[in-house]
Amino acid sequence: MLIELKDVNKTYNNGQPLHVLKGINLGIDRGEFVSIMGASGSGKSTLLNILGILDNYDTGEYYIDGRLIKGLTERQAADYRNRMIGFIFQSYNLIGFKTAVENVELPLFYQGVSRSKRHQMAMEYLDRLGLADWAKHYPNEMSGGQKQRVAIARALITSPKIVLADEPTGALDSKTSVEIMELLQQLNREEGMTIIVVTHESGVANATNKIIHIKDGVIGQIEENREHRASVFGTSTIMK
Amino acid sequence: MRDVFTEIWESIRRNKLRTCLTGFAVSWGIFMLIVLLGAGNGLMNAFLTGGEGISTNVMQVGGGRTSKPYDGLKEGRRIDLDERDVALTESELFGNHVDQVISSVSTSATVSYGKKHFSGSIEGSFPARRDMDKIEILHGRFLNEKDIRENRKVVVLAEDQAETLLGNEVRDSGARFPGMKLDVNSGKKVQVQDLLGKYVRVGDFSYRVVGIAKANDASNSNTVYAPYSTVRVIYGKGRVVDDITFTFHGLNSEKENDAFEEQYRAAVNLRHRAAPDDRRALWIWNRFMQNLQMNKGRNILRTALWIIGLFTLLGGIVGVSNIMLITVKERTHEFGIRKAIGASPWAIMKLILAESVTITAFFGYVGMFLGMIACQILDKTVGQSSVSIMDEQIAMFVNPTVGLDVALEATLVLIVAGTIAGLFPARRAAQVRPIEALRAE
Repeated sequence: MLIELKDVNKTYNNGQPLHVLKGINLGIDRGEFVSIMGASGSGKSTLLNILGILDNYDTGEYYIDGRLIKGLTERQAADYRNRMIGFIFQSYNLIGFKTAVENVELPLFYQGVSRSKRHQMAMEYLDRLGLADWAKHYPNEMSGGQKQRVAIARALITSPKIVLADEPTGALDSKTSVEIMELLQQLNREEGMTIIVVTHESGVANATNKIIHIKDGVIGQIEENREHRASVFGTSTIMK
Repeated sequence: MRDVFTEIWESIRRNKLRTCLTGFAVSWGIFMLIVLLGAGNGLMNAFLTGGEGISTNVMQVGGGRTSKPYDGLKEGRRIDLDERDVALTESELFGNHVDQVISSVSTSATVSYGKKHFSGSIEGSFPARRDMDKIEILHGRFLNEKDIRENRKVVVLAEDQAETLLGNEVRDSGARFPGMKLDVNSGKKVQVQDLLGKYVRVGDFSYRVVGIAKANDASNSNTVYAPYSTVRVIYGKGRVVDDITFTFHGLNSEKENDAFEEQYRAAVNLRHRAAPDDRRALWIWNRFMQNLQMNKGRNILRTALWIIGLFTLLGGIVGVSNIMLITVKERTHEFGIRKAIGASPWAIMKLILAESVTITAFFGYVGMFLGMIACQILDKTVGQSSVSIMDEQIAMFVNPTVGLDVALEATLVLIVAGTIAGLFPARRAAQVRPIEALRAE
């Protein structure tokens, strides 16, 4: 198992204690393309934050590739995030005053990779995502789809063990959404990248190979979705 | 390093006006610090002109008047030192500390050469005076032992006195080309060294000029030096001396000096039947103590100016800190992204600290540069002028500039200040939690 959660609990103590995750047990294998689906308030964002080492949990165990992720210092957490996890966000989260290529370079900068090396690598990744011509452009000069592809390049450049995508199509129109999901599918298929998509859109979930339903802080049904027939709205569109 | 500066430049470029306004406060602070220190130095230099050339291990004593009755004698009695006091000073009693003892006698006299003259005094002195008072001989020589032994009528003049005698009038019209003037007597160009070997009249006698000394700005008495024995004989001074000057060693603290002075005073006073603790019966001018006090005064002034300067700078630092806090607030989201993709807290902190130090240092240097220019302007204007007090030209500022040491100290201050200014905002930036930062949009 690449990812293993054992009885993970998380409670928020803002005034009234809120038990968000109630004993999550989950295993995800290398090369899986999974979606975590749930309504807002179901605890899926909290789960994503824990998976992404952005937040800590109260009890239980969380392993990435056999390594226990618990009680890390901020520096360790930053280092693990940097080397093991690639993030893709709904709102792209690119740095506005940096060009596309500079944004893609950034994770390597924090690894201490030399200037020329990381520039060369960033250009390679942008090229693979068809954005070589846009390398010198700033995020506000690009379309949503392009921005998200820059973000994907940034997520991939460190060759992470897992790619976590938080509503990756949330800000995109349906056509671009399909393109982005196809891109993720392709990454999973051709490079064996482990990808976890968190979404509340069934169309997006349908693009993945396995759908994990989460409701009120517990894992519900886990459906295999090799055939991509889970969407009630059809198989090849994403309902907006 | 280059990456850090690229980041800083990107950040500053986006907030040019804000950064400049904040930086102005820092520039102003350093500017004030430099100008204050420069002016302070100028004031101190004016005060100390000539003073730095005096040996510090020298004490000079002179007779005064008793201020209290003692041994059946009334107060207000005049104490005249004489050669037995010299002998006492040289005796075993003070042998632990006293090295060389000389005395002097002087009398007022008019010094003339041709038609030119000035009134001053002639001091009968010893060769050792030269070292004790750091008299710098420009031409010829100072008094020597042979002069003393043979009661020679020789004299050492100060340069400005020589100029006066040659009619060059340096003192009254300001130095233009000292030493290169027309001789009023012969109409030829003469230099002060031409006076060597010539005879000048002091009072009723002629003395041969053997040396020209550098004018001493610190003393305003118009004294010419002649051998002790000569003056004593000519003016019939007997055994009385005007002052006793001696070098000493082994007195390195205020306490030791005080103890020695007290002991010495008691011994001399008792010989003159004055109260041993009568401070007015015997004047002691201890140059070591004076120097100590002068240094203390200088340090106090310097410290005071630094404090004022630093407080002025503090305003600028608070400004920088403030602006950095705003920057951190504005960039919370960005820091969240950076942390999510792997920036350690220290990496974020470094970004803010470096920006803070850069702003402080850059604008600080601008201020320092302007401050130094202001000091130079001060030097060229106020530094060259002097005020006339009782016919005496007194410079208010001498060389009111700051040295390289102050520039280095100020650099250090700027870096420390920048770090302090950035510390709080940087810590805040480092504490940004990525989930919260990413949520805030």
